[in-house]
Amino acid sequence: MEEKQLTEKESLLLISKMISTAKKSYYESGTGAMLWGFTNCICFSVAYLQEKIKGFYFPFNPFLLMIFAFIIQFYFEKKERKFKEVTSHHEEALKYIWSTFGISVFILTVGGGVANIGYSVFPPLLIIFAIPTFITGCINKFIPMIIGGIICWLLGIAAFFMIGPNTYLLTAIGAFFAWVIPGIILRIRFLRSRNLQYGV
Amino acid sequence: MEFKELDPILHAPLRLAVVSLLLSVKEAEFTFIREKTNSTAGNLSVQITKLKDAGYIDVTKQFKDNYPLTLCKITPAGLLAFESYVNALQSYMRPNGNEL
Repeated sequence: MEEKQLTEKESLLLISKMISTAKKSYYESGTGAMLWGFTNCICFSVAYLQEKIKGFYFPFNPFLLMIFAFIIQFYFEKKERKFKEVTSHHEEALKYIWSTFGISVFILTVGGGVANIGYSVFPPLLIIFAIPTFITGCINKFIPMIIGGIICWLLGIAAFFMIGPNTYLLTAIGAFFAWVIPGIILRIRFLRSRNLQYGV
Repeated sequence: MEFKELDPILHAPLRLAVVSLLLSVKEAEFTFIREKTNSTAGNLSVQITKLKDAGYIDVTKQFKDNYPLTLCKITPAGLLAFESYVNALQSYMRPNGNEL
């Protein structure tokens, strides 16, 4: 960019061009959404099958898979951070929203387990699933996540009337719509934009 | 007819590009700014120092995987200066030169 005197019009054009360039530089790889979506789907589906089908065998408590998901997420985050050159204001806000979500889920599931409230934990869990998903969708103007959040709210309402093993299935469905589908869409978009950028 | 004076720190292509870029992000690496503004490292470095000296941006130097990393972010003073600059520009583009 050469050093020359700008006209008023050129200045405004440059400002809008740079703001638009910055906006195009944020990307969401979809890894986190897919990872947690699939993990939740598998955990809750297996738990449902264990309750419903006699003799259904799974070598360990399916919810232990969450620990593996944490390790995988840590690995991917570290890898992505290496290539990240810019942090947006949105990302910063969303980081706090998802951390709040994680803490809330932890308190609800552990507290619910200790208090032995059984399947009653699932309706509030689904409602909590909806909150960060819906906010992320609205902030990023990403319709699949907005729909995912709304579906979780509806499933949360349904879960109040279906207390029992079926709530496992509702939670798995919630995770599928809230994170698996949006995650896959984000991943496809990310790979397409990367291919365009590097001409692969 | 009254025209506001344009801030000379911002009224230069590369410096204006840097501030406009930083406006929409929390922080950005030097390499990102260089790539998006199509500038050379030397020139960008000089302009970033000018912006930093004016108090319009914060520059942090750290290490990432044993490589030096320069992070830039706009300061509240930079944001205010940018707003005034845009207001001044708009006054130039209006027939009577007044603010809205």
